[in-house]
Amino acid sequence: MDRRRFIKLAALTGAGLSLPDGLNALAEAAETAARPDLVVAHGASPEKIVMAALDAMGGIRKFISRGDIVVIKPNIGWDRTPEQAANTNPEVVAAVVKLCFEAGAKKVKVFDRPVNDPRRCYVQSGIASAAKALGADVDYMDERKFKDMAINGQALKSWPLYSDIFEADKVISIPIAKHHGLAKLTLSMKNWMGVMGGSRRQIHQKLDESLVDLSLKIKPTLTILDAVRILTANGPQGGSLADVKKLDTVIVGFDPVAIDSYGATLFGMKGSDLGYVTIGYKLGLGQMDLTKMKIKKIQV
Amino acid sequence: MRRIVQSLFLLLFLFLFIQTESKGNDELGYPVRLFLDFDPLILISTLLSAHAAAKAFTLSIITIIITVLFGRVFCGWACPLGTLNNMVGSIRKKAAAHRGRDWYRIKYTILIAMLASALFTLQPVGIMDPLSLLIRSFSIGVYPTFNYGIRSAFDTLYASNPLGAAALSEPIFTFLKKTVLSFEQSFYNQNILIGTIFFIILGLNLVEKRFWCKYLCPLGALLGLLSRFSLLRRSVSEDCTECGACGTVCPGNAAPDQKGKWKDTECLYCWNCDDICPQNAVSFDFSGKKATAAMDLGRRRVITSALSGIAVVPFLRITPLTRANSKNPGLIRPPGSLEEREFLKRCVKCGECMKVCTTNGLQPTLLEAGAEGIWSPLLVPRIGYCEYRCTLCGQVCPTGAIKKLTLEEKAKVKIGLAMIDKGRCLPWAHATPCIMCEEVCPTPKKAIWFEKVQVRDRAGRLLTLQQPRVDLELCIGCGICETKCPVLGRPAIYVSSVGESRSKENQLLL
Repeated sequence: MDRRRFIKLAALTGAGLSLPDGLNALAEAAETAARPDLVVAHGASPEKIVMAALDAMGGIRKFISRGDIVVIKPNIGWDRTPEQAANTNPEVVAAVVKLCFEAGAKKVKVFDRPVNDPRRCYVQSGIASAAKALGADVDYMDERKFKDMAINGQALKSWPLYSDIFEADKVISIPIAKHHGLAKLTLSMKNWMGVMGGSRRQIHQKLDESLVDLSLKIKPTLTILDAVRILTANGPQGGSLADVKKLDTVIVGFDPVAIDSYGATLFGMKGSDLGYVTIGYKLGLGQMDLTKMKIKKIQV
Repeated sequence: MRRIVQSLFLLLFLFLFIQTESKGNDELGYPVRLFLDFDPLILISTLLSAHAAAKAFTLSIITIIITVLFGRVFCGWACPLGTLNNMVGSIRKKAAAHRGRDWYRIKYTILIAMLASALFTLQPVGIMDPLSLLIRSFSIGVYPTFNYGIRSAFDTLYASNPLGAAALSEPIFTFLKKTVLSFEQSFYNQNILIGTIFFIILGLNLVEKRFWCKYLCPLGALLGLLSRFSLLRRSVSEDCTECGACGTVCPGNAAPDQKGKWKDTECLYCWNCDDICPQNAVSFDFSGKKATAAMDLGRRRVITSALSGIAVVPFLRITPLTRANSKNPGLIRPPGSLEEREFLKRCVKCGECMKVCTTNGLQPTLLEAGAEGIWSPLLVPRIGYCEYRCTLCGQVCPTGAIKKLTLEEKAKVKIGLAMIDKGRCLPWAHATPCIMCEEVCPTPKKAIWFEKVQVRDRAGRLLTLQQPRVDLELCIGCGICETKCPVLGRPAIYVSSVGESRSKENQLLL
């Protein structure tokens, strides 16, 4: 139990003792305390493993409230089809959109700033049609919404970031696990490159530090790492099915360091092999030691 | 009635023009080059220059048949440039003081010169063919200007938000973006030149209405020649009082007021003379007898224009660019382009490929391909790269100068090769990590690979860096590495046409 959780629990216990209807809150807090750090769900249906993983976390209603404006940030970086595993799996995105609406979200926005032509990326990834069919707003990013924001990190002092991310009530990050030439792997922390405006290609000069800086700035409500298919070589855009491995897995959590540390194991690596995981851990962004986490594995 | 038909054709033209844009699918979904397919001038000149024509041009036979049946109705009723000329001409209320100039022969000499040069393998018609000209002018000049203007206006409203006007303007902007605006603002070389020529053509209507159609248009000339055989004819009955009313309304200088000297080749079949005739003496029907002026271009004029058309061919080709060892390495043609000689025999510089290019990388040349290749497409990777899985330029090319490729074929076509400038590259020259070119390289097995090296920085610290190398066998020259290279100004990795698969000579590797 970390400090924040302890204070919350203590405060709620106090509230529970003083108020008659505080009993509910007490139960809720106890449930939060019992919540796993990571849920790893495995199964053939992307929709079902997403649902099961979120249920294991306490259910979508724990995170999304009625009337919320929710931003879902998948990886739609490349002009590739779902089988090629360069973009987040469209079924995973669709499952999350559906759950958000079921929880009463007023609006669900899905976007990314692609590297290839945005139209082709949105269409060929299958994400635009899947999310739109469920009522999500799938718009191309609007150049005017990038606002220069203070980051005051190790590598990034300030950068134009997409304001929708900060104006939303809830943010759900849905990256895909892939090989990457410099970062070695692109997992949850690298997903935030997709909300950077300006000449983001420069951050490769201090990539690990920059990714940590971004993750300290952007705190999603929930992160769902898509490992239904992973790309093991020639990433991050791949193209050859020989480099794609089907794992039928999603990993749900809150701590980006923990998620990426676990994500490394999918590729036979350790969290400590990744610069941004190590730096993130050192800066207190999260936990990288898997033995110190409560990891719940479920099979659907 | 004629105005309605003209408007419909113009709207269809504009609709197809706006649809000449990627929606993210592999195919466009609309026959965007339809107007060009119906253009018999391109059909004939391509047959002469390349001895082959794209299949779609069979549609232009319909235009020929219609012209033979009904005369130059295409000019009067369908041609979108003709309609625009009409619209601009209507600003000029005053009828011509004199009954127009006697310059109508100019367009025939232009046509003869162009077709004569086409017979000797040149393809010059695109410069003046009204449909190529219109699409090119719209793609490069008019439409980007329109977009820039609208976008700046709405951006200003959005940013300054006077009296909360943005709340009103933003929904309108969203609507415009979904309907008439392009996906992104595009930018083109030659925009001023191509745009200015177009505005001059429109402006000539103020000198004389339909100046272009009467005196310059080579397609009008071709259809004029065909309408010599037209079955639909104009006849004037005995009731004619020679009041001359028809002469003032004729948009084609066809001399309808001069009995027996009506020029059938110049008639646009607009029926203005029929409408205005106070005696109702004018009629158009199939039974009319020939009451037309003889077409006299003058033998000398015909021979001179044909000879100059022929002479211009070697004249344009005495450029070193046509020599194997002095090819312009910057001339990167779109994927699927034919070998340069064959390419130039077909390309009509309509600009469809540049309009549809998803990255704005396809730009019109000026002299990069010689004067002969002016305004033909050229990939400028610093502006935009060739999207790996996009085949749209080949789909819209009306003449087959750019072949339509399948995705599998496209992946194998090299349009050039990338090379690294070690003196500028961050990991090579500046001991700074960067992997941009490798990250974006789209071939399934990346053409850019790394060599891990240990280098020392100024302070003597040992750094491990990945220095990029290009695998020339795998590189297809798409240029995304050059587009995305963070080294501003001259990029640290750049593409040239060397190694392009369409050329036998322009090769580097054994």
